[in-house]
Amino acid sequence: MSVTVDPGTDATGAIVPSVDVAPESQPVGWHHRHLLDVDGLSASDLDLVMRTADAMHEVLGRPIAKVPALRGRQVTILFYEASTRTRVSFEVAAKNLSADVVNIAAASSSVAKGESLVDTVKTVEALGAHMLVMRHSVSGAPYLAAEVFGGSVLNGGDGWHAHPTQALLDLYTMRERLGSVAGRKVVILGDLLHSRVVRSNIWTLTAAGADLWLCGPPTLVRGFEAWAGRGAAAGRRFQVTTNVDEALRDADVVMALRIQRERMASGLLPSMREYAARYGLTRDRLALARPDALVMHPGPMNEGVEIAPDVAAGVQSVITDQVTNGVAVRMALLYLLAGTHGTRGSSAT
Amino acid sequence: MTDLEISRAWLVDPLAGREGPGEIVVRDGILEALEWLTGDDATGVTADGVVVAPGFIDLHTHLREPGNEDAETIVSGTAAAAHGGFTVVCAMPNTEPTLDDPSVLAMLRGALIVADVAVRVLPIGAVTVGRAGERLAALGELADAGVVGFSDDGSPVRSATILRAALAYAGALGLPIIDHPEDGSLTSDAEANEGFVATVLGLRGWPVAAEASAVGRDLAVLADVVRDVPGARLHLTHLSTAEGLDLVRRAKAAGLPVTCDITPHHLVLTDEWVAGARRWAWDASGDPWADGALVAGPFDTATRVNPPLRSPDDAAACLAALLDGTVDAIATDHAPHTEVDKAVEFGLAANGISGIETALGLVLAAVDAGKLPLSRAIEALTSGPVAMLGPRVPRYAGFEVGAPADLVVFDRSERWTVTPESLLSKGKNSPLLGMALNGRVLFTIAGGRLAYKAPDA
Repeated sequence: MSVTVDPGTDATGAIVPSVDVAPESQPVGWHHRHLLDVDGLSASDLDLVMRTADAMHEVLGRPIAKVPALRGRQVTILFYEASTRTRVSFEVAAKNLSADVVNIAAASSSVAKGESLVDTVKTVEALGAHMLVMRHSVSGAPYLAAEVFGGSVLNGGDGWHAHPTQALLDLYTMRERLGSVAGRKVVILGDLLHSRVVRSNIWTLTAAGADLWLCGPPTLVRGFEAWAGRGAAAGRRFQVTTNVDEALRDADVVMALRIQRERMASGLLPSMREYAARYGLTRDRLALARPDALVMHPGPMNEGVEIAPDVAAGVQSVITDQVTNGVAVRMALLYLLAGTHGTRGSSAT
Repeated sequence: MTDLEISRAWLVDPLAGREGPGEIVVRDGILEALEWLTGDDATGVTADGVVVAPGFIDLHTHLREPGNEDAETIVSGTAAAAHGGFTVVCAMPNTEPTLDDPSVLAMLRGALIVADVAVRVLPIGAVTVGRAGERLAALGELADAGVVGFSDDGSPVRSATILRAALAYAGALGLPIIDHPEDGSLTSDAEANEGFVATVLGLRGWPVAAEASAVGRDLAVLADVVRDVPGARLHLTHLSTAEGLDLVRRAKAAGLPVTCDITPHHLVLTDEWVAGARRWAWDASGDPWADGALVAGPFDTATRVNPPLRSPDDAAACLAALLDGTVDAIATDHAPHTEVDKAVEFGLAANGISGIETALGLVLAAVDAGKLPLSRAIEALTSGPVAMLGPRVPRYAGFEVGAPADLVVFDRSERWTVTPESLLSKGKNSPLLGMALNGRVLFTIAGGRLAYKAPDA
C-alpha cells in the first residue's frame, strides 16, 4: 500500500517535508546523492536542511521519537577512527527513522588491515547497505567510497578535510538561539590546522552571512590567512588572528576546538599548560564577548585545556544542545539523501 | 628495415639551430636525405602541421624492471616512450634490486637484449647502496659498465657528507650526480603542495621550502667540491618551485657546474588539479572554488606526485626558467603505478604520474597557448638532455645524414584523447585521462628502427 501525502508549505512557500512518510513519496527539492562536503551546498540547500531538521526536532519531542520514514533501508556506519558521540548520534538518528543499522568499527587503516577501502565498501554494499556513513582519518576517503558505492555516502568526518554534519548541527544550534547568524560575530578558537570542523564551518557560516573569526596559535592557523584572502575575493569573508582578545571582543558565539596531545610531540605547541594559559576559553576571556554569547564545542572536550570547566557547564553553554541537535540534523540528512538516491540502483540526477 | 619519406613538413633541428620547411628520406633505417625547402616549394608549410624533430631524450624514466614488472616492464615502458616520441630514456635505479652494483646492471642489460626494443635505455646507477644514503654504491665499476650518471631518486641523497663524496668521486669519473631535492624533515606524511588548495582540502602540506632548502644544500656542497674536483657536476631533477629554480639561476650565473630539469606536469598542471580543476596553469585564477573551474571530483590519486603539483605561480616560474635557460631539459619523471597502488585513499596512494606519453601534448599546450616557442620546447627535449649527459653519451639529438635515423614525426593539427587504452604504459595513472591533447605522434624511429607507428599512419 502506498500513501500519497502532499507536502505542506510554510508561510514563505518553501516546501517542508512531511517526515512521517517515506522521503521518495514527496518532492523535497534535494538533489545531492551524497553528502561528502558542504562546499557544494547552496543557501537554499542549507535552508532545506534546517527546515527538515526542525521537523526532526519535533519528532524528537514526541513520546515515541520514531517515524517509519526509512523502514526497510539499511544504513551502514563504517568508522575507521575511534568515535563515540558522532557514531552513536548517527545510529540514534537512523534508528529514529526506523532504518536498519549496521555498525562496523574498522580499528585500523585499510593498508594495515590488508583490505582496501574499495573492497570494504563493495562488501558493505553486497551485504545490503543503502546508505553508508563513513569516518576516516585520511582526507578525501569518502570520495573514493562514493565512486564505488551504489547508494549514498554520508561523510562523518574525513581527515582534516570536512565534517559536514557537525557544521550543519553547529549552524542549526546557532540559528535556534540567535534566529539568524547573518552579521553575528562567530569565533572559532583553537587548532585550525588539523580541524575538519573548522573547514566545514567556514563554508556554512560564510554562506549564512556570519561575521566569522578564526583564532589560534601561530603554528595552528597556518594557511588560513591565505584562504581568508581568496575567500574575501569570492565573497566568503572571514578573519584570521592569533590575538585571542581581538577575536573574542563582542562575539555572539564562541566555539572552542579540541587540542590533541600529539601537537606537542610534533613541535607545534610547547605544552598543554601554555595553550590553556594563552588560548583557553576561561571565564575571564569569555567576559570579552557579549554577555549572552553562546559557548560551543564539538566535543570531546579537554576541560581545563581549551575550555574551562565552569565555562563548559555555564549558563551560556549550548554544548549539550549541540548533541541533541546533532541527532535531528543527522536524521534530516539521512532523510533527504534517502529521498534522492538512498535506494540502490536509482539513477543519478 | 625502416623506410620513411616525409615531404613538406616542418623540420626542427636544435643542434643546427634551424627550423623550417623541409623533407626527409629514411632508407633501410638510415637518414638518407634531409632537405630544407625554400621558395615555392616551401609555400604553405607551417609549424602548425606535421613536424619532424630529432627523437626525444628523457633524463628521468622509471621502467620498474627489474622488480616491479606489474607496474611497468622494459617492453611496455619503451613502447610508451616511443608513443611519446622518445627514442632514448635514462632509467632510474630505484628498481628491486636497486641498480647499485654492476651485477644488477648486467641483469638489466640481459633483459634489454631479450626485450630487443628499438628505444635505447641508458642506465643510471644509484649513489648509495640500496639508495639508503649511507655507503657509496660501486660508482667506479658502474661507470665502467656504462651508467650515464648516479641518482638516489625517489629520495634525495640524504647526507651532505655522502653527497660531497659522491660529487667528487663521480666528478672524477666524468659523470653527474642527479639529485631529487627534498628536505624530508619538512615533508613527512606530506600529501599536496602546501598552499591554498591543500588548506581547503585538509591535506598535509608539502612546503616549497622543502625543495629550496635541499637545493641550497646541494649547491653549497657542489661549490665546495668543485674547488678540488673541477669535473664535478650536479643535476637537479624535477624542480618545481620558483625558489628552487631561482637558486639554480644564481648558481649558474656564478659559474657552478649545475644543470636541472622540470617535468611537463610541473610546467602545465597545478595543485588546482587536486581539487578537481582541469585547466592549464596559465588559465588558473587562483580560486577554483569561486570561478567554476572544478569539473572533476577532488582527491584524484592520479594527481598525487612527488614533488607535488604546485601553485600557478610556481608553474609560471618553471616556464620562465625554461625560457631563460635556467632549465636545461624537460624530463618526464614517468612513474607508472599499478591500480592497486593508486585506487586507495589519497593519503595512502603512491606518488607519481605515468607521463612519458603525454609529455609532448603538455609541452605543446604551452606552445599552442603562445607561452613557449616550439624550437625551445624541442631543444629542452633533445639537445638540452644531450648536453647534460655529456661527451660520454653517443651523439643523438640531431639530424645526421648517413647515420641511423633517430627522429619523431608528429602532427600538431591532430588531437588525441588520453584513455587507459590509448596509453601503452602499464601505468594508467594519468590525471589527463579523458582529456584531449594536441599533437599526435605519427612515427618514432629510434636508432634506425621503427619504434612507434600510429595505427592509421
